[in-house]
Amino acid sequence: MPVIKVNNRDVHIQELNKGAAETVLMIHGMFSNLSVYYFNIAPILAEHFHVVMYDLKSHGMSERTLHGYDLNSMTDDLNALMEALYLNSVHLAGYSFGGLIALKMALRFPDKVKKLVVIEAPDPKDEKARGIIDDYSREFLEHYVENFTDTTKVKMGKRQMERNHRMYEYLFYQTSIKSDMIAEKDFLDEPQITLLNKETLLLYGADSNCLETGKELNEKIKTSELTPVPGDHNIPIQEPVLIANMINTFFMN
Amino acid sequence: MDTVASTTKMNRDEIFDLMKQFITEVIGEEFVEEMDITPESSFTKDLEMDSIEIVSFSEKIKAHFGDQIDFTGWLSSMDLDQLINLNLGMIINYIYECQ
Repeated sequence: MPVIKVNNRDVHIQELNKGAAETVLMIHGMFSNLSVYYFNIAPILAEHFHVVMYDLKSHGMSERTLHGYDLNSMTDDLNALMEALYLNSVHLAGYSFGGLIALKMALRFPDKVKKLVVIEAPDPKDEKARGIIDDYSREFLEHYVENFTDTTKVKMGKRQMERNHRMYEYLFYQTSIKSDMIAEKDFLDEPQITLLNKETLLLYGADSNCLETGKELNEKIKTSELTPVPGDHNIPIQEPVLIANMINTFFMN
Repeated sequence: MDTVASTTKMNRDEIFDLMKQFITEVIGEEFVEEMDITPESSFTKDLEMDSIEIVSFSEKIKAHFGDQIDFTGWLSSMDLDQLINLNLGMIINYIYECQ
């Protein structure tokens, strides 16, 4: 299993088509892992690109970490990962919270990012998005799993529920994720967003609660295009082939 | 590392045993002991494997069989319903036929 040391921490990565000239780096969302891309989206992109996926800290099979869930730390992690893999510049795609990391990366390290795909990035000032963390409980998890998880639509059995419960308990009550997320609430209102000059594809579910955020971003970023995709926040699971083909075309042209 | 690229063709029972070994390594012995793993066991419902565990499982197949078997490619050709209904017997057949 490919686990590499980045800044002295274990990071689980998956790579496809290593020999390709250009790299697409993919960032998953919060409480998810790289499997959101691994089975459908990544193999399609790998027909033309070197594809790199990684598990964010404390997610999937990457090492647990108590601190550093703000966007500066998350992009420092990504920058260090790129250095560890000798990647000078990449096409970047991020889903949900990973979309915010992708945006921040393009703002902080513009030389390292070619084109940008932002899928269903939420507005962190949205009370509902942050409310998830305040309201966490076992009942909440059961509800959340039924409605919002982006890794699988399968109903969880006892073992999975326990596994997820442990992950949420750890993230919510032991790490700084809560305060780090609250500290980012004004990220999309920062003036620097309007200065972003990367070609950006915004993919949002036509029925998603986040679609408004997509529209706002499309107004702020002069070099962006917004494409609604049939579905809600879970479009990478609902329409993986469509999403992969759209990303492919965008990065190829 | 389990990189034993087998030159002789494995029969279905041998593949089944190998798959059971991989599943045990991925989800842990304490859970496997409580389960009756059979070729009819479904990955998501019976074995309760989530997608990141199936990634680990796929990696083990890749490490063992190498380029002989494009397991991830095979999985990626399935839609969500097919993945949900995937059982061990289907994987055994796929590997058996690829050899």
